[in-house]
Amino acid sequence: MKTLLVIKKQEYEWLIDLLPGVHPLLVPICNKPFIEFLVDFAILAGSDALRIVSDGVLGSVEHYCENGSRWGVEISYGSMRPADDIYTVIEKNRRFCLEERVIIISGFLFIRYNKKSEYASLFTSLPSGELLSCPHGSISLTGTSTTKTETPGTLPFSLAALDSIGKYYELSMEILRTGLTHYVIPGYSSEEDCYIGRNVIIQKSAEIIKPVIIGNNVQIMTNSIIDSNSVIGNNVIIDRESFISGSIVIGNTYIGEHLEVKNKIAAGNLLIDPESGTSIVMEDPHLLTAMTQSRVAGALLRRVVHALGATFLILLLLLPWLLLRPILGLQGKWKRKREQYFTRLPGKNVTLTNTTIECTGVLSALAKALSLDRFTLLFKVLSGKLALIGNQPLPVNPAIPLLPNTHAVYRPAVFSYAEAEEWPEIGIDTEIVEHYYAVHSDPLKDIAMTQKALFYRTH
Amino acid sequence: MIFHLDTSTTQPLGVVLLKKRVDANNSSELQKAFAQWLQQTSNFVFDCTKLDFIDSSGLGAIVSCLRKALEHQGDVKLAALGPKVAMVFELTKAKKLFSVFSNSSEAIQSFRTVSPK
Amino acid sequence: MNISEKTINNYTIISLKGILNASSAPKLKTYIAGMPDEQSLVIDLENVEFLDSSGLGALVGIARKKRTSRAVMKLARMNERVKKVFEITQAYTLFDIYDDVSAAAEV
Repeated sequence: MKTLLVIKKQEYEWLIDLLPGVHPLLVPICNKPFIEFLVDFAILAGSDALRIVSDGVLGSVEHYCENGSRWGVEISYGSMRPADDIYTVIEKNRRFCLEERVIIISGFLFIRYNKKSEYASLFTSLPSGELLSCPHGSISLTGTSTTKTETPGTLPFSLAALDSIGKYYELSMEILRTGLTHYVIPGYSSEEDCYIGRNVIIQKSAEIIKPVIIGNNVQIMTNSIIDSNSVIGNNVIIDRESFISGSIVIGNTYIGEHLEVKNKIAAGNLLIDPESGTSIVMEDPHLLTAMTQSRVAGALLRRVVHALGATFLILLLLLPWLLLRPILGLQGKWKRKREQYFTRLPGKNVTLTNTTIECTGVLSALAKALSLDRFTLLFKVLSGKLALIGNQPLPVNPAIPLLPNTHAVYRPAVFSYAEAEEWPEIGIDTEIVEHYYAVHSDPLKDIAMTQKALFYRTH
Repeated sequence: MIFHLDTSTTQPLGVVLLKKRVDANNSSELQKAFAQWLQQTSNFVFDCTKLDFIDSSGLGAIVSCLRKALEHQGDVKLAALGPKVAMVFELTKAKKLFSVFSNSSEAIQSFRTVSPK
Repeated sequence: MNISEKTINNYTIISLKGILNASSAPKLKTYIAGMPDEQSLVIDLENVEFLDSSGLGALVGIARKKRTSRAVMKLARMNERVKKVFEITQAYTLFDIYDDVSAAAEV
């Protein structure tokens, strides 16, 4: 038996908007990443291989699940196009689907199951075709069964589509109240409705009321109350005299003193009301904050190298700039526009002056060849606002916020990698080159790429 | 921030329309203005219809307005809290300190029925 | 880099072997340019040992050309190394990718 998981970006995009920074397949439900519920189910159903197919980015999912050896199941990954139907997906994975029976789970679905039920023999005996479906997806089976049986009227599993934050919340509460024994939930448990992780510090005066799930590395400070039906994620601090009830606190969150979190979802500095879907970004670090991991040391080296490179270019171009800038300015060929751009940090913007030089005459051609239009931007490298080479800065557009997976590799810069390559600088092509170098670059290569960019810009 | 005196009630009533954001940048403005309004009346309705965001200093300012009004035997009532603003009031338990109404006319009406001492 | 060719159904299957980078990408481009524009292709990547951004650029270029001449270009049998490049660049959104050559050469 094998399992093919088909999940389209369109089906889970809403969750990225609400909980940026986590791939929807890794969003925790009762402190267990969503994908693990599906992996568990595939294994219970007797699968020895699982393939996850999506038209969206699977990088972080792959990073988390790897080849599946942790669970003793072979996990592989495949891609599809947004318009592909299920038959096309099966064709694209023909080698995987060949010879064996395959359970196909299509859609951003939670499968309710019970780890104590017997699924392996059930799935080998079920006839092929669709087993269950709901408006947002289905579960079906290919291949022929060993024994001839009809699909039973009721199956020992059911589907719950994840299509809104309200559903996510309801589902978490449902598992917490009635389903904890049906699934493998992380943490230590001596009672049915209470799971506590490693390295958890609970002050004497704090009060915890079941049912509750608490993750690893959690601190619950003096006089705080964790009321029933709460899920506290990993690396969470609940500060003094706060009250949490019927709420989900996603990992890496700090909840300040004297607060009351009732029937909410808290994630970093985000507070979401699951009932209305309203979410707010808290700007006060003493109320709610995301606990971020410290930056990689390599980033510092890169910054130093970029600053040195920028200094060098500033010294080199200062004289030509002083000479050409006033002349072109007088001729009206030096055009400037100030615009807001996204920075590396979510929620922070930077104002940049965009210079365009009208390309007529020898002087403006010379200014362009020397990249004088980027001259003033070089100072932003010194202040650390821009990198010397990286991505083209993306203008702020409130309608299109930066996606977290874009953010992870986004480094706005004076020159872009796409300019250093002979690739056409348009849309998706630019993105491809920039993504490539965001991963495959180091400070020294950056200097070489800057030279290339300067060179190609003169042509 | 727009202030006007509503005289439809037995006692003059200060109606304050809060706009966009009350945060660290403008919370002191509110407090300063409130001290002046307090010379005209001690009963207020803060209409939050147009308020989109509030942070802890904004919240602090509104709570201090309430405290000053109470010192003058008055009250500050809140009207039309948007979902986002309401979440901050609930999170910080500040909501418990205020009488909250779904719109400003209800809040004004409430001063009429129970006239403060 | 070695290029070999065979035909399944109406598709020309191009199998690449070796390194697809800045120095070998032009070879692939000229090879494809020697074929009729409207010939549909499946490019078998199983034996590609290394792919860089120029190699990827060549594949993107070929796919775009095929699309304008109403032909199809599909990719088949990506190995882990190639997959990684497609993953980080999110280039997979531009291609139809199959795990089997004959499946790709149908329809």
